Amino acid sequence: MSITLAKGIKLQNDKTWSLDYKRTPYANLLAVASTDRKIKILNIKPNGTKLEDVLDGTVHRKAVRSVAWRPNTDINTVTLAAGSFDATVSIWTKDIASHVAEDEEEEDTDMAGESEMDLLAIIEGHENEVKCVAWSQDGMLLATCSRDKSVWIWETDEMGEEYECVSVLQEHSQDVKHVVWHPTMNLLASSSYDDTIRLWKEYDDDWECVAVLTGHEGTVWSSDFEASDNKLDIRLASVSDDSAVRIWKYIEEDDENDGQQVWICQSILPKVHHNQVYSVAWSPKSGLIATSGSDGTLALYKETEKGSGTWEVVAQKELCHGVYEVNIVKWIDVDGQELLATGGDDGSVNIWNFKI
Amino acid sequence: MSEYLNDNPDVLEVDELPSRKEDNEQLFENFGSKEALERKKLLLKIDHSPTSQVLHNIELLDKLLLLNNTPDLISDTENLLTESDSDLNDESILGAGNENICEEYLGEPADPVDVQEIYDLTAHICDPEHPLTLGQLSIVNLPDIEVHDDGNPDHLAEVVIRITPTITHCSLATLIGLGIRVRLERALPPRFRITILLKKGTHNSEQQVNKQLNDKERVAAACENEQLLGVVSKMLQTCK
Repeated sequence: MSITLAKGIKLQNDKTWSLDYKRTPYANLLAVASTDRKIKILNIKPNGTKLEDVLDGTVHRKAVRSVAWRPNTDINTVTLAAGSFDATVSIWTKDIASHVAEDEEEEDTDMAGESEMDLLAIIEGHENEVKCVAWSQDGMLLATCSRDKSVWIWETDEMGEEYECVSVLQEHSQDVKHVVWHPTMNLLASSSYDDTIRLWKEYDDDWECVAVLTGHEGTVWSSDFEASDNKLDIRLASVSDDSAVRIWKYIEEDDENDGQQVWICQSILPKVHHNQVYSVAWSPKSGLIATSGSDGTLALYKETEKGSGTWEVVAQKELCHGVYEVNIVKWIDVDGQELLATGGDDGSVNIWNFKI
Repeated sequence: MSEYLNDNPDVLEVDELPSRKEDNEQLFENFGSKEALERKKLLLKIDHSPTSQVLHNIELLDKLLLLNNTPDLISDTENLLTESDSDLNDESILGAGNENICEEYLGEPADPVDVQEIYDLTAHICDPEHPLTLGQLSIVNLPDIEVHDDGNPDHLAEVVIRITPTITHCSLATLIGLGIRVRLERALPPRFRITILLKKGTHNSEQQVNKQLNDKERVAAACENEQLLGVVSKMLQTCK
């Protein structure tokens, strides 16, 4: 199995922090967050890649750390949330209905600059750096986390204009680095500088911590759920400063403690990374897991048999952003073909092909 | 009450600090380029009095003379993908890979960074509360620096530096560590991974400080904090 570079796109001279991908009827949009405060939107096409939009760089006063596309509730618009070190979260939107109609008549219309994403809302509440933003699968809840040790859950409307804070979760004892929602359930995982992962669920009209996953021996940088429709079959992959990749598995509701869940660490993946591992992505399509980190290596792991908990490294690409650190890896589905996108401290976004 | 947290630190004189051996006998040895050697001889002929700045900075002079090419600087405006020339349709991303392996350095001799270089970069940083350098206060010490570097710009390299705060509860340890990190990140090539640790047993909250100093996100955020960056910039200026 091999990983080969399909396209390298140099966007700025400073850290690329975060990527998020969304397929729409008119384009495959990859949002890019970076230290230069300007969110960039790339259009990833099978026959090339185009810089579609650069959002207003004056909205955030510090680095943009995280971006997330809202799962669509309305196919005529796209909405993006962005969290910044300036403690705010911005919401951007764009009407794409006109593009969809245009595309049917004239296929090669150049959309760049035609209509830009507009600022829809600014959400304030966190005391300091926002580290991550994530939408629930129905797009109605937005989770944000910060160095202020809290996770906030915001409820929004159809349009995504108004945000009401429904819960502030303060159980982590240190910075919260990352939040991610389960792809089909309203279950949230938060990763922290306190070396733990916490799982959160709505219970009796409030959000409660239902499990604490301990085992990592350093900051947990990110986590990702396995795609599953079965409510009893839930797994989470996590990566940490301790250079390990762990798989956690939901076992059962805890009978003795109302609402609490029992989780176990099912496996620790074969060691690839030497230093901090910053990002993990679990493919909803192939079930493969991808990780990237400080050592610049992009690694792919495959479970020998689905659900078995036995994993093997099937490919690795060293120095995938040269000698720079790799902060983020995402699976992207470009017109049916699964590819990988990575973002590094070199300011580049790289798109990767892989062969199994 | 003293205005200092530690008002009586041990201080080394500047000439007691470790440095590269300098020897007039060896001034003209190990010189790669004949041309550079000639230029050096000429410069020394012009001014060879004991007060000569040239003689005092002989090491710097060597470095300047040995620089064959100035390093390539990347302009903020060049080479970046902009909206106006955003059409990248020239190649298929679904086809075979088109890897660009950087070959511009091939053929150049490897020039690994050594511990003395790391010492020179960090020992002259100013202490945040005393008008003295980290070297003079023995916060940075030559034997506590580790470097793993083969000099190849395409290989990863590593620096581990263990610092000794002047007192075990020194609240400025984090700031000193941040100053060292900022200096090294700015001065060293991107292949370096820098680890800054408090020397074992020198501080009450060793682990907390270590964790903070080596968290890239915390450091990046600190570098966007104007006030903090102001204090760090002061430390990085030469001590007066």
